Amino acid sequence: MSNPSPRLEPKSGHAPFSPALLLGLALRPVRPSLLQPAFDAGLRAVVRRHPDMFERMGSFGDAAVCLDPVDLPFVLLMEPHATEPRLTVRASIEPEEVSATIRGPMATLIALAEGRVDGDALFFSRELVVEGDTEVIVALRNAIDGAGLDLMGDLLRGLGPFAGPVRGVGNLAASLFGWVGDEVESLRRSLIARALAAADAQNARLAELEAEVASLRKQVRAKGRAAS
Amino acid sequence: MSDLERPELVCPAGTPAALQSAVDAGADAVYLGFRDETNARNFPGLNFNRKELEAGIAYAHERGAKILVAINTFPRAGTPEIWHKAVDDAVTLGADALILADIGLIGYAARTHPQARLHLSVQAAASNPESIRFYAERFGVRRVVLPRVLTVQEIAALNPRIRPVETEVFVFGGLCVMAEGRCALSSYATGRSPNMNGVCSPAGHVRYVETAEGISSELGGFTINRFGRGEQAGYPTLCKGRFQAHGKTSYLFEEPTSLNTLAMLPDLIKAGVTAFKIEGRQRGRAYVGAVVRAFRAGVDAALAGKPMPEINLDDITEGGRQTTGAYERAWR
Repeated sequence: MSNPSPRLEPKSGHAPFSPALLLGLALRPVRPSLLQPAFDAGLRAVVRRHPDMFERMGSFGDAAVCLDPVDLPFVLLMEPHATEPRLTVRASIEPEEVSATIRGPMATLIALAEGRVDGDALFFSRELVVEGDTEVIVALRNAIDGAGLDLMGDLLRGLGPFAGPVRGVGNLAASLFGWVGDEVESLRRSLIARALAAADAQNARLAELEAEVASLRKQVRAKGRAAS
Repeated sequence: MSDLERPELVCPAGTPAALQSAVDAGADAVYLGFRDETNARNFPGLNFNRKELEAGIAYAHERGAKILVAINTFPRAGTPEIWHKAVDDAVTLGADALILADIGLIGYAARTHPQARLHLSVQAAASNPESIRFYAERFGVRRVVLPRVLTVQEIAALNPRIRPVETEVFVFGGLCVMAEGRCALSSYATGRSPNMNGVCSPAGHVRYVETAEGISSELGGFTINRFGRGEQAGYPTLCKGRFQAHGKTSYLFEEPTSLNTLAMLPDLIKAGVTAFKIEGRQRGRAYVGAVVRAFRAGVDAALAGKPMPEINLDDITEGGRQTTGAYERAWR
């Protein structure tokens, strides 16, 4: 495989303006290794609940994949081995270390893992960017989608008696995240309002020109037929 | 409308989670395949092993849904064993029907399991009364999945001529515009066959390359499309490739688009269609849930004589576009 960039680093330049991006800015000074215990615990909880999840990887279980949440200042090295899967937080990844890269906003990657959105649809809309060995990407997508993950539920079940209070905090955080998201969206729209209006006008003009070209082509064809 | 005329909603599943999504969303039947080259969606990480099929059949049957097993590739000459075993195992595990394409395999199934319900796959490309009647009279085939080349009027004319054979038509999803089961475009580019290996545009031969201008999709080393920044992308199939000829860049066969006949369901019911098929065993459970819910609502509305619901499925269509394909054949 080849990659256009020599090193796989977080692509914050492609990130949408969102609460996750603000969280990413806050996490910038944090060393990735400090986040590792949280990811280890999360993966353990998910695998405990779905022990066969990566069995679907088949012969691709030894492949490594770079997951790049574009709005966060780190990348994730996913090793979807059937019995010993690993998820490592890194500042960057060398292209030779991985077979493929999946890049998208963090909220989208989580929604994809939970089967709330369709991977092909995200690819069609270009919200998700994939590079490298497509077989590995397809196998990983199918393994995770096929497991029927409920990330919040799976993580909470691992907390036993603390699940209730943590769920309350989680719901509060989700509401807060949603509220911040709405505010951020309003801010984004007001910041780019003039650009959006200009783009709308250009799109309308483009549609007019396309219709005109189509009409002219039709006339040319009709004239051609009449002449022959 | 009587129960006999109630069309069956046949929905796709590539994983047990998708099967559950389909049944929970209102599928009357779910079609699926084994995790090998015996079916036409032989993609990495997709499909069912025997244990998963057994559990899937139990899940569906407990909720009144059927399971149809697609064994719809063409066995390699001299080595039909895995196809025969697929037929035997599907019947033993309690599948409600087998979807088959190869005439030899249909013969094997009819001879070995005379009680099994057989459906003729779209891969067999049977679209005229003579061909369909042959499969029914010779092998007892009960239903034919029609190729996506007929208009609604042609389907309405065909149905009375093949009764009691049922017809199943595609109502949503990826649109194969070639003679299904006979297309060799992908084989030429990759050396692997959709019809024998079960893989059209196999993932191992597909590459996406991001550039400053956008994304290029490559199949078997050939660049078959380039999508500009912000432009909706499509599947990397040659039939939906964009090519340059005489200085003009355009789609040669078909643009990236998805079939959507939600608004046409009453017409298809009137045409005597027995089953509506949703394409997309390779898609995620989010797609399966959304499309099955939409078509469940559509079929129920059509049967109740109510207006068709307006459900926006733009977000999950290929290329962000929809078509009614050959059913209306507006280009004629």
